[in-house]
Amino acid sequence: MNIFNDEATEEKAENARLSSFVGALALGDLVKSTLGPKGMNKILQSMSSGDINVTNDGATILKAIQLDNAAAKILVNISKVQDDEVGDGTTTVCVLAAELLREAEKLIAMKIHPQTIVEGYRIASDAALKALEKSAVDNSANPASFRQDLLNIARTTLSSKVLSQDKDYFANLAVDAVLRLKGSTDLEHIQIIKKVGGKLTDSYLDEGFILDKSIAVNSPKRLENAKILIANTSMDTDKIKIFGARVKVDSTGKLAELERAEREKMKAKVEAIAAHGINVFVNRQLIYNYPESLLTEKGILTIEHADFEGVERLSLVTGGEIASTFDRPDLVKLGRCELIEEIMIGEDKLIKFSGVAAGEACTVVLRGSTNQMVDEAERSLHDALSVLSQTVKETRIVLGGGCAEMLMSVAVDEAAKRVQGKKAIAVESFAYALRQIPTILADNAGYDSSDLVAKLRAAHYEGKSDAGLDMEQGCIGSMKTLGVTESYKLKRQVVLSASEAAEMIIRVDDILRAAPRRREAV
Amino acid sequence: MSSVAAGVPLPLATGQNKAFNDKGKPMEVRMSNLVAAKAISDAVRTSLGPRGMDKMIQTSKGEVIVTNDGATILRSIQALHPASKMLVDLSVAQDIEAGDGTTTVVVLAGSLLGAAEKLLQKGIHPTIIAESFLKASAKAVEFLTEISVPVDLNDRAVLLRAASTSLNSKIVSQYSSTLAPIAVSAVTRLATPTSSNVDLRDIRIVKKVGGTIEDTELIDGVVLNQNVVTAAGGPSRIEKAKIGLIQFQLSAPKPDMDNTVVINDYRQMDKVIKEGRAYLLNLTKKIKKSGCNVLLIQKSILRDAVDETSLNFLKRLNILVIKDVERDEIDFLTKSLGCKAVSDIEAFTEDKLGYADLVEETNRDGTKVVKITGVKNKGRTVSILAMGSNHLVLEECERSLHDALCVIRCLVKKRALIGGGGAPEIHASRMLSQYAQSLKGMEAYCFQAYADALEVIPTTLAENAGLNPIAIVTELRNRHALGERNAGINVRRGTISNIIEEDVVQPLLVSTSAVELATETVTLLLKIDDYVQAR
Repeated sequence: MNIFNDEATEEKAENARLSSFVGALALGDLVKSTLGPKGMNKILQSMSSGDINVTNDGATILKAIQLDNAAAKILVNISKVQDDEVGDGTTTVCVLAAELLREAEKLIAMKIHPQTIVEGYRIASDAALKALEKSAVDNSANPASFRQDLLNIARTTLSSKVLSQDKDYFANLAVDAVLRLKGSTDLEHIQIIKKVGGKLTDSYLDEGFILDKSIAVNSPKRLENAKILIANTSMDTDKIKIFGARVKVDSTGKLAELERAEREKMKAKVEAIAAHGINVFVNRQLIYNYPESLLTEKGILTIEHADFEGVERLSLVTGGEIASTFDRPDLVKLGRCELIEEIMIGEDKLIKFSGVAAGEACTVVLRGSTNQMVDEAERSLHDALSVLSQTVKETRIVLGGGCAEMLMSVAVDEAAKRVQGKKAIAVESFAYALRQIPTILADNAGYDSSDLVAKLRAAHYEGKSDAGLDMEQGCIGSMKTLGVTESYKLKRQVVLSASEAAEMIIRVDDILRAAPRRREAV
Repeated sequence: MSSVAAGVPLPLATGQNKAFNDKGKPMEVRMSNLVAAKAISDAVRTSLGPRGMDKMIQTSKGEVIVTNDGATILRSIQALHPASKMLVDLSVAQDIEAGDGTTTVVVLAGSLLGAAEKLLQKGIHPTIIAESFLKASAKAVEFLTEISVPVDLNDRAVLLRAASTSLNSKIVSQYSSTLAPIAVSAVTRLATPTSSNVDLRDIRIVKKVGGTIEDTELIDGVVLNQNVVTAAGGPSRIEKAKIGLIQFQLSAPKPDMDNTVVINDYRQMDKVIKEGRAYLLNLTKKIKKSGCNVLLIQKSILRDAVDETSLNFLKRLNILVIKDVERDEIDFLTKSLGCKAVSDIEAFTEDKLGYADLVEETNRDGTKVVKITGVKNKGRTVSILAMGSNHLVLEECERSLHDALCVIRCLVKKRALIGGGGAPEIHASRMLSQYAQSLKGMEAYCFQAYADALEVIPTTLAENAGLNPIAIVTELRNRHALGERNAGINVRRGTISNIIEEDVVQPLLVSTSAVELATETVTLLLKIDDYVQAR
């Protein structure tokens, strides 16, 4: 008997589980090779436009690929959440979840009930998180060592990205930018401008705000003490917005009068704008020749056709509001900045607003040899910036290079010894999955992973709790002395989301696929 | 595979540092990238240097372009492979940064990829290759800077030499004696002793078919793209010109709202025509009143810029008319003519006019050119009138001129010169391989490979000139080893000589930026191990 609609499908028990495991594992394997400082990049080629993207950012890769597997989509989602929450570790979270599922698959083959596995994973993740918290260090009391921490975190994050060769340069840049924010996590204040040409180290941090537009023809190219009105209004004509409105006249003279009247109206609008006592007028839309020349006559610098994002940011950093009516000058908040000038980057002219009201605002100008390079550099820098801004809030740090994972794995193993029943096996599996992270790190670098990870584990059991993988030398080293640090929040979020996602997928025993919605008359 | 480690003392020569064994698929992807990228670099390779050949490109629209400018060739190739697209971008980046050396940078990238391929086959990890290459490029730049000579922008002879070196490798090479001085004067006129950049948009190249490239000249004043409107028989030569630039139209009024003129009988028709004439007469009279006798009118998509009637009025008032001025030209024109754009008749006053001694449309070799000379209070802009017998030559002439301008601009940006003819590359290559011997581990291998890869430039130069590359390059290396740091290939004579004495020089920035950009792209390519089809 057919219960479901024609095209709806159902996968049951073993089949459902198999399909979700296969999907999740395939995804994990895909991004696995991008993990760590010796991770590789992927080319993403768009099917529709043929555009290419070179990246090793897990979230970007996962977002781009097309999937038709429920479990894989869950993994994509947790990596997205990781991106929103912390900004980095998007690959790690996906890989860890996949490894947890790989272990679960084995356990299920051993006829352990999925619920038992889930219980075991719960115990294990609790133990892991406790161990992680215990190992976390807080240096926020001492500004100098805190800055060093931030630098280390930035370097660790960047070392797995395209910027790895210039990581010291960019780590400094990112830390400077984030410290300007003074504790706020609003990355809107940090603007990233990408310009092809030049090399990566030609990138720089500039205070103030840069708008990728040019100043209107007749306006001065430099202005001090600017009072800025940011507007989104049509500056061609104030048309009557009734469709089909038209005027009937019986002579050309009247037509000329009408034209004059339109001009007068525009003039009145310009007068109203000028009445705000401004000397800079930034419009989201085009400013036509006539109003532009009127504004210039009044000594107002005009910038037309600014992009939407640019206008919003400008309003944010200069403290002005975006206005669209100009009848009540007293109600409109004007933006302020000390200096507006035209600058040249590469072959392009841009406008720089310095000394803006929001003192924390700054701009990073990224240069690079190709579009792919600057795009990827932007993603990397964004990751670093978001991790840093999160760290400024949650100041605790842990050690990277597989050290934190091994530490947790040891703690979980300890916990497993005290667990009774079948759950204990699941707990041990959790520990094994955690150890896969350093294994993959070593594998990607072409080192002998089994040897290295075994040594690492031994080091941890001997009590060297700062031991991790030295990826340069291919041996075990102290992560503390190497300065490989990561944000506590990041690591915690990775373990939390990965184990939750794994649990969720393990519990699934039935996949229902709804029938696609019918489209009428294709 | 582990033979690599033999002989090279590794920091930790124990079991874990065995050779990098890549998996099947990533290696395949990497190889396909290398092959695609090298194919692109091979495509432009033959156009390098003074004896390089040109390419004929047929665009999808059926147009034909003849060029040997790397950036232009690559832009027209519709590369499909992602890796080859990146090389195309690379050449564009070099175009932005330095303006010249667009072929060099791609050839260099191709050669570096070839070197990387060999290293990969030896089992060295791609990230190690990438890192070492970047370090090597920093070293190479250091070596290049070391042999550079500082330049004084007032030394015109040196600038001329740099410009002609760049022009010598182009199709228009036989005209380098004409074009080089133009390029030098154009940029030096714009540059101040303190400026660190020159906006090439302030240099306008107006192309006119007719005459030969030799007729190309630098105009002391402004050349217009447009011609004088003589439909109504207006003047085409005005002395003591007062130039007005208007952004409104001299045609029947047209409000922005939809409108209809309702005519009920023939008397009204007369009235409409009369009023229309009166309206235009009024406008033209006001223009005349301000003293204006040359009128530039911006193009309008909404209505005619001028119509018959107004042209007739303007002719009677003896005003020279030029229409169809583009909106993006306004900036340049206001700057160079010292006038202000006027967008409403009410605002048309004398203070907004620009003054020039002569505005004249000359007829030379069947082409009409409008020149404005003797401009008072003109801004820092330059106009170049490029002539050529046909479109293909003209386009190429413009591209070459652009490259030459960029070369001079590079000297403004970074005031140092180095030799051409493969001399700097050989020098950097030699110094790098010496340096490589002081390193240990895989880095030493990578540095050596990088140094060898740099030799592609002299090799290609020799190949393209029909010389024996091996004989020439080894001879070159030998001379450098003997301390002749400026020895380079003299392509004209097919020998090795002191390249600085031969006046073959190029800006330091062109070479350093080529090395840096090529390396950056290669490292990005090396790290790729998979393709993902995305939405």
